[in-house]
Parts: sequence; C-alpha cells; structure tokens
Amino acid sequence: MKQTAESIRDRFLKLGVDVPIEDVESRLDELITKFKVPSNEAQRSVTNYILKKYSIPKNEFYMRQAEPQLTKIVDISENGQWTNLKAKVVQLWENTHESISQVGLLGDETGIIKFTEWKNAELPELEQGESYLLRSVVVGEYNGRFQVQLNKNSSVEKLGEAIVVGGGDFIPTARESELRNISDLEGGQWATVKGKIVQLWENTHESIEQVGLIGDPTGVIKFTNWASSELPDMEEGKSYVLKNIVVNEWGGRAQIQLNKSSSIEELDEDIEVGSTTSTYLGAMVDIQTGSGLIKRCPECKRALVKGACAEHGKVKGEYDLRIKAVLDSGTSTQDVLINRELTEELSGLTLDTAIAMAADALDPGVVLDKLKHELVGRYYTVTGHKLDRYLLVDSITLRTSLDREMLDEMLTEMEVQ
Amino acid sequence: MPGFFREVARRVFAQELKDSNLTSRDESDQYAPQYVLTPTGAKVNRIFLVGTLIEKEDIGSDSEYWRGRISDPTGSYLVYAGQYQPEAAQFLADCELPIFVAVIGKTSTYTTDDGNVLTSIRPESIQQVDELTRDLWVLDTAKQTLERIKAIEAEENPNSKLAKEHYSTDTEYYRAMVKKALESLKETA
Repeated sequence: MKQTAESIRDRFLKLGVDVPIEDVESRLDELITKFKVPSNEAQRSVTNYILKKYSIPKNEFYMRQAEPQLTKIVDISENGQWTNLKAKVVQLWENTHESISQVGLLGDETGIIKFTEWKNAELPELEQGESYLLRSVVVGEYNGRFQVQLNKNSSVEKLGEAIVVGGGDFIPTARESELRNISDLEGGQWATVKGKIVQLWENTHESIEQVGLIGDPTGVIKFTNWASSELPDMEEGKSYVLKNIVVNEWGGRAQIQLNKSSSIEELDEDIEVGSTTSTYLGAMVDIQTGSGLIKRCPECKRALVKGACAEHGKVKGEYDLRIKAVLDSGTSTQDVLINRELTEELSGLTLDTAIAMAADALDPGVVLDKLKHELVGRYYTVTGHKLDRYLLVDSITLRTSLDREMLDEMLTEMEVQ
Repeated sequence: MPGFFREVARRVFAQELKDSNLTSRDESDQYAPQYVLTPTGAKVNRIFLVGTLIEKEDIGSDSEYWRGRISDPTGSYLVYAGQYQPEAAQFLADCELPIFVAVIGKTSTYTTDDGNVLTSIRPESIQQVDELTRDLWVLDTAKQTLERIKAIEAEENPNSKLAKEHYSTDTEYYRAMVKKALESLKETA
C-alpha cells in the first residue's frame, strides 16, 4: 500500500503538486482495509479525489501520463495499455450498439485486431481499405482476446501510404465460409448452406424480415433474416444458397441468422429435403400441457407461460390452438406438433368455439380436456418435418379401417406353421 | 433434458400380462422405473391397451378408489385409479358399462403371501373409443406379440433370452393366443 501511495504522490509531483503522503495513505487504507475496495479501484478513487481537490482537469492529468508508443498489432499484450497504431481498416462490421459508432478489424503487417470506436469519441468515420495512424487507443480484453478501443482521447490521421496487412486468414475473400450440411451446423460458426425454404412463419417483429425453416437433404433448421441485413425476401418452396450466415444456439438448438455480410442466391435446382419429411404411425398416448387454447406473444409468436413471453415479458397475448402430442408405435415414441389449422380439422373445434368454451367454463383447460377426450387412444398416421425431437405435422389422418389384408396374411402364416 | 426419455407404451395381451411375474428395477436409483418382463420378452413400464370396460367398483374406504376390469380377446386387465389419478377416477365414476376404452398407464405389481405376482395398471388416461380403434389395437398387439415370439425363438436380444430363461416360454402357447385374438377379428367382419 505504501508503494501505491508513493506512486500516486510521484505522479502528482511531476505535475508540480506536492500531496502529503499521509493523506494519500490514510485514504487508501480506509478504502482497502475498512471498506474492502480492491487496490486498483482504491488507487483510482484516491487519484480522482486529489485531482478534484487541487482542481486539476482530468484530461490534462491522464494525457500527460499517456505518451503511448507506436506499437505493432502483434505486440499488443496488456489489457489497459495505451498505444498508437498504424493500421489499415480491413473490414467494417455491422455495429450492434447505439453507443458504438464503428466496429471492425484493423490490420498491419504483423496481425489483425478488432477495433471499436465509441460514439462519444466524436472521431471521423474510418473507411474500409484505408490506412490510418491511430493515436492513443486503449487495449481491452474480451473473451480472452485483445481489441482496441477509440475513445475521446484518441485521434485518427489518414495515411497516404497503404499499410500491408499480414495474417492472411482475415482477408475478406477468405472469409467466405464453408458450405456445410444443415445437420452439421453448430453454434458459434459462420457457414454457407444450400437449401430449400420449407416453411415461412408469420412474423410481426419489425426488426425481423423473415423467419422460417430451411432444409437440405440432411436436415431442417430455423432461420432468421434480420431486416437490417437488407437482403431480398425468399419464397416458400424455392431453393437458395445462403452465404456467410451465422449459426448460433438458442434453447439448445442450432439456428441460423442472416445479417449484413450474408448473401442470398436463388437456385434453379430443387433441393431435396427428403429424409426430413417423415411419416409416423402410432397411437396418440398423450397430449401435453401447453396444448389446446393457448396465448402467444403478439411480437414473436412464442407461447406465453403464465401470461408472460420469455422474450418480451408481460404482453397481451393472442389466442391460438395447437396440440403437442406423443404418438407411440409400441417400439418408439414421437413428439408431434399440430398447428391450429390441423387441430381445428382434427377436433372439429374452431378457435372461436374454443374461446367461447373456455369463457363459459372460466377455464381454458376445458379445451385441453376436450381434445384429450376426442384424440387420445386413437391410431393416427402423420407426416411432417423433423425438427429436433418434434415432428412438425403437415398432415394427420385418423386410421379409419382395419388392414384386413394384413390380418389374413398373419392368419395364413400361422396356419402354415 | 439429457438422460430423459419417454417410456414406450408396450402392447401386451391380458393373458400374457397375467402370466408375467418377473420384475426388475435399477436398485441404485430410487427413481428408476420398474419394469415387468413378460413371457415373450416385452419389458413393460408403460402400457397401451384398448378393450371393453366390463366391471367397475369403488373399493375405497375413505376416499374413492376405483377398480375397473377391461377385457380383450384373451383375458382381462385390472386398472386401479384413486386420488393420484383424478382424471381416470372421474372417468370410471361417471361412465356407463360396457364401453370400449383406451387406457395408457403404468404397470404395477403386487406379490401375494403365497408368492403369486399380480400385475395391475395405474391409468394415466382412460378415454372412451370406438370399436374400430379396439380392432386396430388387437391387430397391432397381435403383430407386436408375434414379433416378440419370433425373437424368443431366435433368441435375438437380451430381453428375449432373459424371458426364455425365466419362463421357459412355450412359444406355441402364445402363438395360439395371438391366433385366437386374430380370429376374433374375423368374426366381427
């Protein structure tokens, strides 16, 4: 602590201010020992206190001590380090936060680093492909990687010469991501997929352009095309190549997102979504909670739980009908999701009647009971697309006749033996 | 939920279930499901059956406890529903006799003093269904039983082997049972 106190005193001495060492020490001691403040926080707090006491402008104080050296990107090694860089703007990214004015990659002959320029830095816009001398940028660390930040104290000077960028794997053309099978996609990667739009979902959120399912021969996955991507709309049943999409995971399931750096190309060929349209025969052995008359979030269409959406909190829900059921063949089980249209068809119950029933009984549970009563224990044939553990049902038919041919065959077989 | 899977509802005729007396459960885990291994090697925890509800009786002393008897072409099952199966108990209390019912439930066993194992069913769901559904179930169950009989004869899988070892399963006897069930479908035609 004594050392810390000394160093604070020394820094003020350089500015021509002699601060009593006892004062510094006792303040530090109070913060660190009595109030359990971490030493570096205490140091900052005491420094700020002295600055205020002697009316020294903060900027002046910090500017003087920050006399950063020109550094190569590869040499950046310390969190909190101030530095000057000569670098080229390799890539500008879509910026995700309103307090950020620009974000992207800077490169020099030794490497590439991410940069963030804060809005309040009030610096001129950097242009992709141009080279700059960046003064007084701060090194930060995020997720174990260094990045540099341009703030109010930084300055930017455009250079006439072009900085040569090393570290080849970040050259923009090399970022064209690999073509992958939909079933192989995992969270946290960039990829290119080739597939057919299986379903487009209703979407009311203004920041989403389109949302739905895309499939290839290996599987089906949910996609989200953000409005900010400024990409064209896709049509159900047509096939596309989606380049440079981001794969992430939500609720343990992979999904893909299209953003500004993604692209969409329509294909003439028809991609087979073959293996994913599956048919299942079995008896309905359960209809699960969350079936029947439910409410959905008007923003994102998620089913509400206790009147609240996982994403948007308390909302005034919109009524919907659906069934989450389990079919059972005797040797396996299959979870199926049945949408409103098919639920109405299957149960002969329209959404309006269901709402009226629930209102009469003061309980939406009566709709679920009615569905169980009508459907459980019967044999069905369903076809649809596999999504995770669910089969999204395209068609469902009640078995209405006994297979007499099979019956006769079985009897004949038994006679023979 | 990793590690969670839904128990498949097995198809076993009443006669075969009645003949079953081998139970198993993973003793190291108190929440492990209990299984009944039948003579043809079905490892049953959950069961699906469709039959005719022919008797019902409230055998509870304090609260309602319903016993129902459901018949299939080979014999009958007993289902018991009390306060922990409210929907099924309600159904048994309200229904007329006889009717076709579809039952999904868990098997439970009781060993009598003289060592007999009685297998009954705790229903998760009982619904009234039509005759066609009952016929579909008979055909379904006949087919699956026959497949198990063939597996016993071929000693195909661990369950078949275990069943054969324990019961010295007479496959002809169960073939005859399946045949009887199938023939009953011909009569209704």
